[in-house]
Amino acid sequence: MASTVIGAGIIIEGEITTDEDVVVQGTVRGKVTAKEAVTIQQGATVEADVIGGGLVVAGTLTGNITASDRVDLQAGARVVGNVKAARVTIADGAQFKGNVDMDV
Amino acid sequence: MASSVTVIGRTTRVRGRLSGDGDLQIEGLVVGEVVTSGNVTIDAHGIVGANVRGRRLVIRGAVQGDLLGEEAVVLEDGARVVGDVRAPRVAIAHGALMRGAVQTGDDGAAQPVVRAQASAKPALAPPRVVAPQARANAVAVVKPPAPIAKSASSISSGPAAAPRRPPPPVVPVLKKTKGQVLKKKER
Amino acid sequence: MAQARTSTGGTESRIGSGARVRGRVQGEGDLVIEGQVEGDLSLRGHLTVAESGSVSCDTVDAESVTIAGLLQGEVAATGPVQLAATARVRGNLKGSAVTIAEGARFSGRLDCDFDLPQELGGSAREVRTKAPTRR
Repeated sequence: MASTVIGAGIIIEGEITTDEDVVVQGTVRGKVTAKEAVTIQQGATVEADVIGGGLVVAGTLTGNITASDRVDLQAGARVVGNVKAARVTIADGAQFKGNVDMDV
Repeated sequence: MASSVTVIGRTTRVRGRLSGDGDLQIEGLVVGEVVTSGNVTIDAHGIVGANVRGRRLVIRGAVQGDLLGEEAVVLEDGARVVGDVRAPRVAIAHGALMRGAVQTGDDGAAQPVVRAQASAKPALAPPRVVAPQARANAVAVVKPPAPIAKSASSISSGPAAAPRRPPPPVVPVLKKTKGQVLKKKER
Repeated sequence: MAQARTSTGGTESRIGSGARVRGRVQGEGDLVIEGQVEGDLSLRGHLTVAESGSVSCDTVDAESVTIAGLLQGEVAATGPVQLAATARVRGNLKGSAVTIAEGARFSGRLDCDFDLPQELGGSAREVRTKAPTRR
């Protein structure tokens, strides 16, 4: 399935809704709702609530995460917000502040 | 700074402002505003309810909004555009449909997009810039000559037969692009 | 004011590059303009404005139009309207299809009949729609 890619030099202020997966390399402010995986790459900045099939975060995210599957915060991730997911991993080196709810 | 390609996929809908550097490939829905210093391609499935501004715009889908190209706007077969098209070079292929005004040449040129969205900074200021506000007021009063036959400047100082570049005819500031007023740089 | 008539029956008429016509030009058949025409054109055929041609008028009515030179006026065709890369056109264009080659200079409106997709407020059926007010 094709991805939606928000490139490094791009800023989106608003809402993104998609049936496919999303890769964020740039900046998103607003709201993200995806049926598939959401990847926030290193260097990306997301100020939004994110709803996705799964999340992989290596960049900066300020907002609440709701995932039907798993959420992975990788080393280098900086996340402020609540996480609600079936499974959560927070790697060594990831910064996280918020609540975790795995009672999905 | 990196300028990777941004792809708005076919099932993706963006409501809001999409801005920055880099090329855009729009295959889904974007409603709001699109501004980039790179190229923009709206493919056959793309649906855009926004003014679109970029360097070279290639349209194969539906657009409700103005298309402003710094270099060119190309409407290809399948394009459906309701809005104005302005760029130094405009091409409309067989099968492309539009409703709106078309303006080619210097009068069609969109200002280069500055990343910080600041008003024209020295780095981008062309040598012919005059005080925009004063000139904009003066512009509104002057009757524009025919844009095709560019009138040779009779006000250029010096005995040179022709200026380096003939000044474009005076045209009132475009009112449609609110917030993105194309400052006329003419003399 | 002079009135020039083209011949009937589909033969091609030509206004040569040295010629200058002031007045309405009308008739059947195709017309190629290589010179200067100042006056309305009304043709039941194909109009070609060659690269050396120049037309200045209020209205141009023809079945189809190809412009490689200068034209100022409102163009209405039942068939296609084509602007070549050397065209210099000012005025509104109406036709079954309008094509503009990159490099042509054009200032005017195009008004084609079509519907936008429903996501942009268009109706589902292919009916003649008025241009939506955008501002």
